[in-house]
Amino acid sequence: MKFTRRHFLKTTAVAFGMPTIIPAAVLGKNGAVAPSNRIVLAGIGIGPRGREDLKAFLSQSDVQFVAIADVQEARREVVRVMANRQYNNQDCVKTRDMYEVLGRSDIDAVLIATGDRWHALLSILAAKAGKDIYCEKPCSMTIKETQELADTLNRYGRVFQAGTQRRNVDNFRFAADLARSGKLGKIHTVHAGILPLQESHKWLPEEPEPSKDVVDWDRWLGPAPWRPYNKEYVNGRWRGYYDFHGGAALPEWGAHTVDLCQWGASMDHTTPVSYEAEGQTIHGLYANGVKLVMRLAGFKGEGNWVVPGTCPVRFEGDEGWVEAADTGKVAVSSPSLLAGGAPAEMHGTDPTKHVREFLDCVKSRAKPAANPDVTRRGHIISHAASIGWRLGRKVQFDPVAETFVNDADANRMCSRARRAPWHA
Amino acid sequence: MKLLRTLIPAVLMVALASPGTAAVSSESAALAVLASGAELHEKARACQELGDVGGPAAVPALAALLNQEHLADYARSGLEGIKTPAAGAALRSALPGLNGRFLAGVVNSLGVRRESAAVSDLQALALDPKRGVAEEAVASLGMIANRDAAKTLRKLLSDGPADLRLPAAHASLVAAGHLAKEGNPAVARELLDAVVRAQPTANVSAAAQRQIAALGKSGSK
Repeated sequence: MKFTRRHFLKTTAVAFGMPTIIPAAVLGKNGAVAPSNRIVLAGIGIGPRGREDLKAFLSQSDVQFVAIADVQEARREVVRVMANRQYNNQDCVKTRDMYEVLGRSDIDAVLIATGDRWHALLSILAAKAGKDIYCEKPCSMTIKETQELADTLNRYGRVFQAGTQRRNVDNFRFAADLARSGKLGKIHTVHAGILPLQESHKWLPEEPEPSKDVVDWDRWLGPAPWRPYNKEYVNGRWRGYYDFHGGAALPEWGAHTVDLCQWGASMDHTTPVSYEAEGQTIHGLYANGVKLVMRLAGFKGEGNWVVPGTCPVRFEGDEGWVEAADTGKVAVSSPSLLAGGAPAEMHGTDPTKHVREFLDCVKSRAKPAANPDVTRRGHIISHAASIGWRLGRKVQFDPVAETFVNDADANRMCSRARRAPWHA
Repeated sequence: MKLLRTLIPAVLMVALASPGTAAVSSESAALAVLASGAELHEKARACQELGDVGGPAAVPALAALLNQEHLADYARSGLEGIKTPAAGAALRSALPGLNGRFLAGVVNSLGVRRESAAVSDLQALALDPKRGVAEEAVASLGMIANRDAAKTLRKLLSDGPADLRLPAAHASLVAAGHLAKEGNPAVARELLDAVVRAQPTANVSAAAQRQIAALGKSGSK
């Protein structure tokens, strides 16, 4: 439904005990954005990274954050306090059940920042409920889930922004623009920094499950396979486990860096046609001969990158190269490439501009930078490359059919069963 | 500090395990684990591996786990990956003996596998509220998306129980996408028209209208 000021006042006053004396600023005076022009937002699964996103949302005057759904009480409460402090009221609702959020007709958009296992399914459920979505990355666990996500978002016409914010970070944008401008000559190789490939199948020792009001373990697992509770998982140490972290961890950074390579190489419309692993390096090859090298980077300067920092990318043409990383810096092959001035230094993890673009698109219904189609191809590459690594041999991929070519073994690795009763 | 806070999950991941080489097990090794007194987590992993490498010989062992509390979903993972008809038949055969989550899971797997032979089973489950998986059955009919499934969805949209109209509308959108892609635009159009007539939520109606527009003349009767 279309959100209106009347609806805002009615629903919030009745359901959430809004004060009877409404501050003038809330009514749109003193330069504040009137409720009728605000985007009503809720959060689902907001941990440390989600709170960085949330801070960016809360800093926007045309956002009203009204509810948090999280399976962990401690996290619910932190978010509730953050929102109430921002608005100087007590109105933020907290709940364990995401359906309470998705079922509210006054909520326009949701910020999804759960673990990866939930990203696609929750985004699909939100799209079906008519919400626009900002979803943290990686947005999917498998190739099939990636396709299902993009198809659903397009089917329902929702505005979707993947949390691949580096598309809106100045130095990465500068590097991609430079590559796309032709100033580097013909682009022949793009490099994406990735973390070590790994997939652990271990289970941590069973610990007593807390009450559902403290941590709802069954809901935390969601569509991921069952395993016994251990507090380490819910405290953030779920990464690296096959059941919770898709694509052998390649999408962890690949969701950003492969995506940036797609952009820099002007390949957003397609994917490589083959992948071949060589240790922890995976070589992708596009149909036009451009090479995509996914190679190790890390927190301690691993991988011989010129620019220090996490999530590095490098674009090479036959007349020059450019490199960028999370420190906000760029390096170029020739000072002349910086003739217009170096980009402002903005940290790669800062989501502010990305969030702002999402909000503008919610209003305009335009497609943001990390839209479903861009996200689809960037994520499929990460997953497909990891399947090549798992198989330990070269795999051929059809970018149109989005399947491996004459390769039943690889195609079997494109999906995973969802734990019942979860389905899309 | 902010940087550390943001990156700390990835730091923890790196600390968790050193880079490893993926290993894909053999069918016989995974079946031997299932037949042994191995730990639960080992059997769970064996089921997943059979989804990657298993064939018809693995089907009975996996099917036997479809009612096991902590292994049923892992067994489905195996059966969804095995492309031979025997895996679909095993899932269908399990339907009468399952309830609750176990039944919901198998119903979902039949949809994921797009088991045409299961349409009649799913039709019955969609119309039997006592089995408790009507919504799951409707969703799976949408995924299977053959002519019989489309017919059932149209019927649900026009005459089905009120609480199934919206799930049927969502499923119809999925089915229409498959039908159009697979050379049945006219059937897709009929289904989308039925969604519009059923007047579900504005979001779903708008989605149906968009799909009708995308079909264009190819969806004309």
